[in-house]
Amino acid sequence: MTLEAKNITSGYVKEVPVLTDVSVVAKEGTLTGIIGPNGAGKSTLLKTIYGYLHPSRGDVLHDGQSIKGLKPDQMLGQGIAHLIQGHSVFPAMTVEENLELGGWIIKHDRKTLDRALDKVYEHYPVLKNKRRMVAGTLSGGEQRTLEIARLTMTHPRTILIDEPSVGLMPILVDTVYEEIIKLKELGYTILIVDQKVHKCLDVVDYIYVLRLGRNSHHGPKEKFVDTIEDIIREWI
Amino acid sequence: MNLLGSSQKGMNTFRYIKVALVLAFLIAVPWIWRDNRFITTIFISALMFGIWGVMYDLQIGYGGLINFGFAGFICAGAYGSALAAHHYEINPWFCMLIGAVASGVLGFLTGVVTLRLRGIFVGLATWFLAEVLRLTISNTPGYTRGMLGLTVKPLPDVFGLNFSRAELLPYYYLLLILVIIIFAIAAFMVSSRIGLSFKAIREDQLATETLGLSATKYKLINFTTACFFTGLIGAYYAHYIGILTPDTTEFGVPRTVEVLTVAYVGGRGTLWGSILAGFILIGFQEYFRQLGAWRLVMYGALLIAVMIYAPKGLSSFKKYIW
Amino acid sequence: MELSIFVQLIVLGLVRGSMYALMGVGLSLIFGIMEIVNFAHGELFMIGCYIMYFVAAMLGLPFPLGILASGVGLLIVGILLEKGLISTLRKKAGRDWLMDSFVLTIGLMVVFQNLALIIFGSIQRGIPNLVAGQIVIGDVVFIYDHLVILSVALLTVGLLWYFVKYTSLGKAIRATSQHSEAAQTLGIDVSRMYTISFGIGAALAGIAGALLITLFPANPNAGMAPVLKSFVVVILGGLGNIKGAIAAGILVGLIEAFAMFFLAGGWQNVIVFSIVIAVLVFKPAGLFAPAGERP
Repeated sequence: MTLEAKNITSGYVKEVPVLTDVSVVAKEGTLTGIIGPNGAGKSTLLKTIYGYLHPSRGDVLHDGQSIKGLKPDQMLGQGIAHLIQGHSVFPAMTVEENLELGGWIIKHDRKTLDRALDKVYEHYPVLKNKRRMVAGTLSGGEQRTLEIARLTMTHPRTILIDEPSVGLMPILVDTVYEEIIKLKELGYTILIVDQKVHKCLDVVDYIYVLRLGRNSHHGPKEKFVDTIEDIIREWI
Repeated sequence: MNLLGSSQKGMNTFRYIKVALVLAFLIAVPWIWRDNRFITTIFISALMFGIWGVMYDLQIGYGGLINFGFAGFICAGAYGSALAAHHYEINPWFCMLIGAVASGVLGFLTGVVTLRLRGIFVGLATWFLAEVLRLTISNTPGYTRGMLGLTVKPLPDVFGLNFSRAELLPYYYLLLILVIIIFAIAAFMVSSRIGLSFKAIREDQLATETLGLSATKYKLINFTTACFFTGLIGAYYAHYIGILTPDTTEFGVPRTVEVLTVAYVGGRGTLWGSILAGFILIGFQEYFRQLGAWRLVMYGALLIAVMIYAPKGLSSFKKYIW
Repeated sequence: MELSIFVQLIVLGLVRGSMYALMGVGLSLIFGIMEIVNFAHGELFMIGCYIMYFVAAMLGLPFPLGILASGVGLLIVGILLEKGLISTLRKKAGRDWLMDSFVLTIGLMVVFQNLALIIFGSIQRGIPNLVAGQIVIGDVVFIYDHLVILSVALLTVGLLWYFVKYTSLGKAIRATSQHSEAAQTLGIDVSRMYTISFGIGAALAGIAGALLITLFPANPNAGMAPVLKSFVVVILGGLGNIKGAIAAGILVGLIEAFAMFFLAGGWQNVIVFSIVIAVLVFKPAGLFAPAGERP
C-alpha cells in the first residue's frame, strides 16, 4: 500500500498556506521519514494526509485511490492508522479496554477482534501481563507500547506516526524506535514525522526534508548520511 | 477599550457629544414626563438593572469571574441598610453606606476564599453563598422579620427634597447621580493600570503572573469594588421599594439571572452596554407585559441567542448604533 | 434515641439519598463527559414529572410505563438540545466553554420554566402515590412508595453503571472524555458520543422527575429544589465523579433525615449549603477525590 501526498497546498487559515506544493511518497513496506526545522509544516502535512485539514490544492492517494477528506473511521477502513503526538492512552481504562477500543471499527466482529487481541498479546507480552491494569499506571515506555499495539488492532496497512519521541525520557526513545522497526518488519508502510533527525535517519529507508512549507531535499537514507549535518546547519 | 468602547486613548470631541446626549436624555426625559409616575418607575428600574449589569460586567467581562450569587450582594446591601435603619435608628442616608460596606466586606471575604479557584467554581460558590444568606435571613425572623417582610423607612428629606415616595422623581435623580459616580469610577478603573491588569489577566493569567502581576490581588480589587457598589444600589433599592422579603425572586437565582442577562446582552467587557441593555430589557419587559410568561420565554431565548450568535451582545451592533 | 426511630431515619435517609444520587448522577455524567455545568437539569427533571403525570394520571397507565416514557422522552429532548444548540455553541466557544455553556443552560432553564407555565399553568399536578400502603416490621414503618423509589433509583443507577463500565458504547463515551483526540483517531465519532451522553444525562433527570412525582408534583417550578440538591450532590461527590455522586447522594440523604429530626425547618439547607461552600473552597475536586487532585 503506497501512500502519496501530491502537490499539497494546505494550512489552517485559507489565505495563509503553511504548505505549498508539497509531495511525499511512502512506498509500500518502507519506513519513510519527514524531517525539517520547526515551523516547516511537518505536522500540518500529517494532519492534511489524515484528513483533519483540507488541502486547498492537491490530493492524497492511498494505493492510487484518493482519500482526501475521509473521516477517521473511513481512513481506518482503508487501512490507514494514525498515532498522534504525546500521550494518547485512555488513562483511566485498563490495557485490555484500550486495546479493545483500538478495534472500535471492527467491534461488531467479535471473532476478529479477539484474534487481533491474541496477536497483540503474542507480540507484546508485557501488555499481556498487565492486561487488567489501568493504563495510567503504566510506565511511559509501556504506555507508548500500548499506543502502538492499539494501533495494530484493525490490521492497518499504513501507519502515520507524529513525532514518536516527544514527551519520552531519553532512555525510552530507543525502545520506541525499536518498536517502529518491528512494525516495518511486519510489512507495514510507515510514514514518520520527526524532530530527532539522527534517530530518524537511523531507522528510515527514505527521507523527505521540508523547509518553510516546501519540499527541500529527498532521497534514500544513504544519500543523507554524510550531508545531513550541512542540511541541518542550513536550517539555523 | 475605554468607557465608550472605543479603542482610542482618551476622549475626543465626538465622544463628549455622545456622552452629553445620553446624559441629557437621562436627565430630561423623566423631568418632561414628571407627572407620569409610570415613566419614572421604568427609568428607575432601567437604571438600577443597568448599573447592576455594569457591576456584573466588571466582574465577568473584566475580571473573568462569574458571580452566580450576585443577588446575594444586592441582598446584603439591602438588608444591611434596612436593618441598620430599623434596629439602630441610624439616619437612612448613612445606612446606605453601611449596606454598601456590608456587601463590600462580604465580597472581600468571598473573594479571598474563592478567587484562586477556577471561574466556574467561583460561580458555584457564590451561588450557594447567596442561598445561605437568603435562607439565614429567612430563618431569623426575630431580627429580620423573615418572610413577613421588613418595611424600610424612606430616606429623610434633604436639601428640601421630599423622599417620602409620594413623589418618585427625587429617587430617580438620586439614582442617576449614584449611577454617574459609580460608572465614572468603574470606567476609570478599567482604563487605568488596574484595568489593563484585568484585561491581561483575563487574556492569560499565567503569563501575567510570570510578569509579576498578582492576579489574585487584582481580581480581589475588582470583585470587592463591584460588590461594594452593588450593595450600595441594593441599599438604595431597599429604601426606594419600601419592603424587603428574602424571597427567591427578590434575592435568589431569578434576580441574578435578570442582571446576568442585562450584562450579557449588553456585551461583556463593555460597561456602557449594560446601561443600554438595562433600558432595552426593562422597556421590552414593560412593552410585552401583557404577554405574561411569553416575555420571560423571550428573555431566555434572547440569552441563548446572544450566547450562540452574538457573544459580544449589543456591542456587536455598535457600528449601526452610533 | 430509640432503635426503631434510628432505623426509621436510616431508611428515610437512604430513600432520600437514592433520590439525590439519581438526580446527581445525570448532572455529574454531563459534566464529566462534556464539561457542561447544566443549570437546566432541574427543567429536564420537571419535564419528566409532566410526562409521568400524563401517562400515569391522565392516561391511567401503570406507573412503570410512566417512568419508561419519561426516560425515553428526555433522551430525545436531550439529544435534540445537544445537536441543536450545544454543539453549535461548542464550535464557537473557546477557552470560556465552561462559563459560556453554563450561561446557555441558564437561558434554557428560563425558556423551559416559562413555557411550562404557559402550556400547563402553575397548578400542581400530583399523584397521591405510586403504590398505596405501607408495611410495618417491628416498630418501623416502610411506606411502599418509598421502597419503590429506592429500588427504581438503585436499579437505574445500576443499569447506568453497567452501561458505562461494560458496554462498548459506554467505554467509547469514557474514552472520549479521557482523551477525545485519541478516541477520534480510533474512528470513534466524538460528536455522536457527546450527543448520546447528554441524552443519557437528560434521561436520568427525567426518570428522577417521574419517580419522584409523589414528592414533587408536576409544576413549572418543580425543578428548582431538585437542581439545587443535584448540585450539592455533585459538588460534594466531585464534578464528573459518578461513584462520588452516588456516595454523596446517600450521604446528603442521611444528613438531611437526621438534621430534620433534630433541627427546625429551614436550617438543614443552610447547613448543607455551608458544607458545599466549604468543600468548594477547600476540596473543589470533591470529598472523595484523592488528596491534591485539581479539578
